[in-house]
Amino acid sequence: MEELLTKSEDLRKVRAALLNVLEDTDELRRSAVDERNKTMAIIENLTDGIILLNKKKQIEIINSPATELFNIGKKEAIGKCFIDLLDIENIPEIKKILIDKDRIRNIYREEVATLDGLHLEITSVLLKDEIEEKGFLIIIHDVTKEKLVEKMKTEFVSVAAHQLRTPLSAIKWTIRMILDGDVGEINEEQRELLEQTYISNERMIRLINDLLDVSRIEEGRLLYDQEDTRIEDVLDSVIEASQEMLRNKNMVLEVNKKETPKVKIDKEKIGVVIQNLLENAIKYTEQGGKIKITLDNDEKNVIFKIEDSGVGIPKSQQDRIFTKFFRAENVTRMETNGTGLGLYTTKNIVQAHKGQIWFESEENKGTTFYFTIPINNK
Amino acid sequence: MMKKILLIEDDKFLRELMVKKLLTMDYDVTSAVDGESGLSMIKEIKPDVVLLDLILPGINGFEVLEKAKQDPEIADIPVIILSNLGQKEDIERGQKLGAADFMIKAHFTPQEVVNKIKTILG
Repeated sequence: MEELLTKSEDLRKVRAALLNVLEDTDELRRSAVDERNKTMAIIENLTDGIILLNKKKQIEIINSPATELFNIGKKEAIGKCFIDLLDIENIPEIKKILIDKDRIRNIYREEVATLDGLHLEITSVLLKDEIEEKGFLIIIHDVTKEKLVEKMKTEFVSVAAHQLRTPLSAIKWTIRMILDGDVGEINEEQRELLEQTYISNERMIRLINDLLDVSRIEEGRLLYDQEDTRIEDVLDSVIEASQEMLRNKNMVLEVNKKETPKVKIDKEKIGVVIQNLLENAIKYTEQGGKIKITLDNDEKNVIFKIEDSGVGIPKSQQDRIFTKFFRAENVTRMETNGTGLGLYTTKNIVQAHKGQIWFESEENKGTTFYFTIPINNK
Repeated sequence: MMKKILLIEDDKFLRELMVKKLLTMDYDVTSAVDGESGLSMIKEIKPDVVLLDLILPGINGFEVLEKAKQDPEIADIPVIILSNLGQKEDIERGQKLGAADFMIKAHFTPQEVVNKIKTILG
């Protein structure tokens, strides 16, 4: 009897314990459902389109911004295969992202324009834990407005630059005609002042040209026609045009070049690159200094190198040297006229040719700039 | 005989400056302030050289050039574009349409423009 009572007591305890467990489980389940609802509410209410695909690329979750974008009902979409289901002719790039295995290896981002004029930034993330791939998360972010603002900004610079050229031309022509004696004699003092004014005005014209180049970089229309050319030929014409500058500063220019293979380049733009680098070397090197240019190639690249014995770039400012409008402190004190746009433009031109640009520099010893242009950049 | 130059330019001050320069250099100068009157003046006075701006009220310089080159009576008259446009696309477009040269105003002095006219007139 005693034994029976003990057992029954035990059973009661077990029952109570089980009930407790059940209660806990139920609470956990409820909180899990709550959490899930919360997460779904967050996903649903994001302004970006979100699509979660499982391993087989079937849709598991799709939020309203995404269904709206693809013009599809949510119920219809869930569980279906993404590519079969959605009419995404409008955004072919999404399809490409999903088909191309290389692109979805980890994280991939691309901006695409839809046929109805939207600009979307599409990010595809591969979801995985240590063991296996779980699926893909696709995030669609509308950047139409940002794109528009960017475009307006660039157009503004371009229009403003063109508009500025007209009064600058008027100033240039007027001063030149006075200096040329077209409107009568002037005295020596007047001549000197006008000559200084003319030089200032020329600087302004040059600044406007640089600004126009920058606006083209930002529009992504930097390169015009590219043809097979020997960089050597471009180099020769730049050196030819820089003779006066070199003579004025009494500088020695040493050129070591070998016959490098032809590369596909925009001749004029590469000319700008070489000219910018050579002009910088001349400007930022003391009278009588030395500049050395080497043109060489390896299997993959044509390599251009320009070495000067100039003022160098302070170490603390080296990481900003290619930034738009940046000028190093030691050169702003030298009374040289620069806009801070030369190296920015230069870097963008080299990169538009799929090349690289870098430098080594030590203050008061000199600077060496290098750039490469790939031989097979077709 | 004095060579006739027609200047098509909408900016009053630039027009006056260039006219003054050309007169100093003993040219017979006529000017027009927009594309339409410019085009009819080319036909009317048959200048030896046309200096043509591109951004003009009404029909623009490119259209003036295109129409002039389509008209056999005036197609042979050399046209120098003198503009502040100057991107490669613009220059190439001008050359394709048959411009004798393309000069960016802010990059050349009046004397250099005159020198160009002299070269073209031979």
